[in-house]
Amino acid sequence: MGKPRVAIFDFACCEGCQLQIVNLEEEILDLTGAFDVVEWREAMSEQSDEYDIAIVEGSITRPEDEERVKNIRRRAKILIALGACATIGGINKLKNNFELGEVKEYVYGKDSEKPHLDTAKTKAVGEVVKVDYKVHGCPIDRDEFTYILRCILLGKEPEIPEWPVCVECKAKGNVCVWEYGQVCLGPITRAGCGARCPSSGFRCYGCRGYIDNPNVEAAKEVIEKYNLDIKDLKAKMKLFGSGYEPTKK
Amino acid sequence: MGIKKISKDGFSGLIEGLIAETTVIGVQSKGDKFVYDLLGSSANLRLDYDVTILPPKKYFLQPAEILLRFDGEKYEAEFDDEEFVLVGVHPYDMIAINQIDKLYSEDNFDSHYMRRRENATVIACDVARASENVFASSMGTATVSEGFDILLTDIGDFYVAESATDKGEKLLGKAEGVSTAEDEDLKAREKIQEENKKNLNKHKLGCKPSELPGLLEKAYNHPIWEELGKKCFSCGSCNQVCPTCYCFNVQDEVNWDLKSGTRKRVWDGCLLDGFTKVAGGHEFRKSRADRIKHRIYRKGKYVPEKIGGEIACVGCGRCVGACLTDIANPVKIYNRLIEDIGIGK
Ligand code: SF4
Ligand code: SF4
Ligand code: SF4
Ligand code: SF4
Ligand code: SF4
Repeated sequence: MGKPRVAIFDFACCEGCQLQIVNLEEEILDLTGAFDVVEWREAMSEQSDEYDIAIVEGSITRPEDEERVKNIRRRAKILIALGACATIGGINKLKNNFELGEVKEYVYGKDSEKPHLDTAKTKAVGEVVKVDYKVHGCPIDRDEFTYILRCILLGKEPEIPEWPVCVECKAKGNVCVWEYGQVCLGPITRAGCGARCPSSGFRCYGCRGYIDNPNVEAAKEVIEKYNLDIKDLKAKMKLFGSGYEPTKK
Repeated sequence: MGIKKISKDGFSGLIEGLIAETTVIGVQSKGDKFVYDLLGSSANLRLDYDVTILPPKKYFLQPAEILLRFDGEKYEAEFDDEEFVLVGVHPYDMIAINQIDKLYSEDNFDSHYMRRRENATVIACDVARASENVFASSMGTATVSEGFDILLTDIGDFYVAESATDKGEKLLGKAEGVSTAEDEDLKAREKIQEENKKNLNKHKLGCKPSELPGLLEKAYNHPIWEELGKKCFSCGSCNQVCPTCYCFNVQDEVNWDLKSGTRKRVWDGCLLDGFTKVAGGHEFRKSRADRIKHRIYRKGKYVPEKIGGEIACVGCGRCVGACLTDIANPVKIYNRLIEDIGIGK
């Protein structure tokens, strides 16, 4: 068997996660040694209809994008969702909290009626097609990305934490930022980033998405304990945790 | 071995000398908290600390460590052979280390842990300031009599210094400012230790520690586990900060040649979703309530049964402060059980 062919596609996103791939430096050679990269707009001009693995970055925000990603899915044996925009809809999902016409007008002003600015509710890639592997985070963690690729080559299931960021945060000996009045989403957010934000003194804003079984009721208790407003928690959760329907008040 | 006293200047000189020749880890401040970290100067050492964020266990069982390297055909264990001095270990943390020593040297000899343990010189010290949540007095862990090389007690201008090993004896032998501990010095030390046995007690356990296994025997079906489960994040904070938790997870990382790589272990915890997954993905003991119950049983019954009765909670109080929803405090749980089902029979 030849090298698996990989194609990289982007949808609505800032392309920050692809940039992380570009920034792999020496490891990019290992990657191109193990895979045949057949399509990657960010780094090459070739296009291809033949590939084994599709890496999809970004969220699905327009009807024509749904068709495009379905097409990609049909051709690929394996589909990887790259980054928060793709895995959970990411920041793009904030928009689902508002009426679409309102959002468009806010962003594009009087141009908002032009047809190429057509938009729909934001979906994560997995809400449109089957996703085989998710590379979490905004942006992704490079080591986790290459680890997942090696697991695919080895035919072995990658071990992605099912536990929250607090685990990594505590192991690092950090002081919990709740003690400084910050609403940290660490207890309900999937670990794997090495508690990047709390380790620098910032709250976790949940970019890796929720763990499989988050205890949101417990989070409400903590808000009470620290005499904070439940609205704070909800506002923080919207950034990366918005759903398809508007977040309930 | 002997009990001496050493002037504070003499002790600082000893630490400076050690810093010049080896790796010295000591308790230092971090904001308004304390941590164990590499010591750059004796002036940074804070033996007046209350409690550290993480226990000193992290120098023996590291949060993440490489166990071995493989190249596809053979593998080679990797050891950390650096000698180091650990300064400032409180009695409860020393007792926790002694417990893990037992667990890792008896049925499952853990050569990585034991190698580090042998490479370490431990300078313990009696508690000078009670932390917010300590309850070592309740657990009988406010003072310690073994495991350290030297034990210091601050009696004002001097430390009373008890050496328990040849290593400790030799170290004190090198120091300046060492003199005979007089009766009054020993009395001063005894006073501090007696007070600690009473006053390191911010949460008072309603029974003797030795009665806990019997209490738990009757508590399998108590509603408290479900109640606590509702408020638990499964965030493992209570495990991560605990000096007696010793679970780890082993992972292989394979390099790009898809043959060579490393086997690592990282701290794990019984509160984590995924901890109970065994090979094949079968998961048992799944609910949050069951996991909380497991942690308490582990500390109060299962581990004690393995190590000769000692309770595997040393009352450091770290889990109490680490738990965002205030449900990890073992004393609160035990006292509630005592109230509801009583001790005895
Ligand atoms: S996940 Fe974040 S970094 Fe990656 S593309 Fe989306 S917005 Fe950019
Ligand atoms: S700072 Fe955030 S991630 Fe860290 S322990 Fe606190 S809640 Fe958890
Ligand atoms: S700490 Fe939270 S917000 Fe920061 S990288 Fe990790 S998951 Fe994302
Ligand atoms: S259970 Fe809590 S109080 Fe007991 S030793 Fe562990 S962290 Fe300390
Ligand atoms: S008991 Fe508290 S610290 Fe422990 S896992 Fe549950 S919420 Fe986290």
